[in-house]
Amino acid sequence: MKSKALILLSGFMFVMFVMLAGWTSNLFSADIKLVFRFNDPEAKEMREALDVFEKNNPGIKVELQTIAWGNSRDQFLREIAVGEGPDVVHIAFVWPKDMGNAGGLRPLNDYIKNENIHGGFDTFVATELTTNEKGDIYGIPWTTDTWALVYNKDLMAQAGISKYPTSWPELKNASKMIHEKTGKTGFGFPMGSAKGNTIWFLANYYWWSNGKALVKYDSNGGYKVGITENDIAESIEYFHSYVKDGHSPELMLSISTASDPAIIEALLSGEQGIAMMPPNMLRQLVEDFETRNPGKALPFVTKIFPGGSAGSKTHLGGRTLGINSHSKNPEASWKLVKFLTSEIIFEKFYTKQFPAQKVLLKNITFGPSLKGYAEQLALARSWGAYADSPAQIGSMWNKVGRIFGDAFIGTISSNEAGMDVIKMVEKELK
Amino acid sequence: MMLAPMMAVLISFYLYPTFYNLYNSFTDLSLLGLKKGGAYIGFDNYIRLFQDKAFGRLLWNTFFWLTFVSVSLRLVLGILLALLLNSETLKKFKLTGITRLSLLVPWATPAIVAVIAWRFMLDPREGIVNQILLSTGMVDQPIAFLSKIYTVWPVIIIIIIWNSLPLVTMSYLASLQSIPETLYEAAEIDGANDLQKFFHITLPQLMPTTLVLSLLLVVWTFNNFVYVWLTTAAGPGSYTNVLATEVFIRGFIDFELGYSSAIGMMMAAMMALFGMFYYHYLAKKEFSEII
Repeated sequence: MKSKALILLSGFMFVMFVMLAGWTSNLFSADIKLVFRFNDPEAKEMREALDVFEKNNPGIKVELQTIAWGNSRDQFLREIAVGEGPDVVHIAFVWPKDMGNAGGLRPLNDYIKNENIHGGFDTFVATELTTNEKGDIYGIPWTTDTWALVYNKDLMAQAGISKYPTSWPELKNASKMIHEKTGKTGFGFPMGSAKGNTIWFLANYYWWSNGKALVKYDSNGGYKVGITENDIAESIEYFHSYVKDGHSPELMLSISTASDPAIIEALLSGEQGIAMMPPNMLRQLVEDFETRNPGKALPFVTKIFPGGSAGSKTHLGGRTLGINSHSKNPEASWKLVKFLTSEIIFEKFYTKQFPAQKVLLKNITFGPSLKGYAEQLALARSWGAYADSPAQIGSMWNKVGRIFGDAFIGTISSNEAGMDVIKMVEKELK
Repeated sequence: MMLAPMMAVLISFYLYPTFYNLYNSFTDLSLLGLKKGGAYIGFDNYIRLFQDKAFGRLLWNTFFWLTFVSVSLRLVLGILLALLLNSETLKKFKLTGITRLSLLVPWATPAIVAVIAWRFMLDPREGIVNQILLSTGMVDQPIAFLSKIYTVWPVIIIIIIWNSLPLVTMSYLASLQSIPETLYEAAEIDGANDLQKFFHITLPQLMPTTLVLSLLLVVWTFNNFVYVWLTTAAGPGSYTNVLATEVFIRGFIDFELGYSSAIGMMMAAMMALFGMFYYHYLAKKEFSEII
């Protein structure tokens, strides 16, 4: 009995010793350890890319942390307030200025000046979103995208529509026809008001395509509200009519993201005719469809959003890489940023995303299913005055979503919602 | 001297966060400005809260729907279920064990799992609830339970009840089993029927448990964030927004930590007032007897 206990104890001690040895060897290793926080679903592919980086840079190890996009911004802000956080951080196009001004991101001007990153900083798109009013650059644009409409061409044909919509009324009519002729959902889009909602994008596309915007530059070099409460009320009523008229299900009122399984499943099973999404989501949709239906022709085509008096307009979106101002290894972090923005990443690992470098973007062969994105990218606009003004895009985004949500369920009228949005933007601009 | 370590714990873990939060509620602290801190703005956050036109609905949602309805239903259903579990009929069919065990399953289920499972069941396209309703002809169109203002609160209440009713039931069951049989025997000799025995013996004997459970449930539920947030994220629109979710929205979505702290302090004050009122007018006598 005694010897059994002794064997058990020795075994336990051995395991503890091995664990401790591993831990201390990590602790005292000469390697530089970086933490890269990544928010997209391609964690496996990114790990493979980081393995290549480690191989090319002996002495640097990279830990890959993953977090959902919905939590990434506030998590990083909480961390930097206490001097913590990952060394390299994956952030949305519109965050670097706020995060940099809050002291969370390291200015990259010196690195950019000393090293000609992939042919120069000006070869990247949307650089104005990473640069604050003093000229401090807080990030390197990594990927870029915009949204486009995805149609099920079979359902469109069954509905007797041969010409794809080019105006907002035509889009609504197509949605209605699909529902009437096939019994399926027409245009199903997320109308929910949760954090990071989608209706914010759709509403802006609608306003921009009609020459309006929540924030515009004024003639004195300042900013002004560029829309009236009636314009906002009219847009709310337009989008609400999809549900009210019954060609988009009420379920959409509680869905906030385009990747919601209810939308994706409906598209995959042919239950929905029209949807909106970014290209990485379309690529995933195509993969899933091909896995489920081997040999079957792809029913999806992508087209640009409808236009109003100002033509079709969507936002130039994307991701940026930033370096934590508290990073103990900024040089190694910069090396990692350079590696992650290089061509090989988009060729081999991060293949569902478009690079934010103009040259690499030009080299992309958009297949037939992505044709709509290629056309839409040419029509996409930057956030412009939204990003330059004192208003915070993230804050307006969430507030607009909540106000629209209240109007959709009828707790406030669309005119009240219009007034609330205007008041909110005026407050943000102060 | 012996009390010093406990005092240190009390100050570091309870008093400091409370006073720090109180201090923040008088500032314009933002999540983007955590490093530099917020500027003192007096009572502006509190004035803004009372002037907010959504404040009335927040109070209604928190007090009526989330707290009053869910606590009342749990107490009533808890007593009824405990009576069932304690009944001779279940014992006769040897169902006591299995019934009690099955009641524990929802209790052992984490709230997040419970909410996700219910969301799947209630899904308009794939959910079993809609499939049953459609197949039995009760409805001709699936119901989007979480998108309709008439169904969304009842759904949240059902999820809360499903997940936390077992605790109430088990507490009542323990109390039921401690009621002396002699009371019922004496009542029978006096000719009392079952209903009279329930209202004149069982209910009064369960009163101490009811008072303790009510207090605990009210405090837990009033401050609860999880059920509403995971089920609806305060939507559709802000229809199911409650004070706890408003604290999160203002603090971590709108980044207004100072304002969010003010709402948190208001919640603490409301619960302190409720506790004092409850103790003074309802439970003082019962608690003194228990203690």
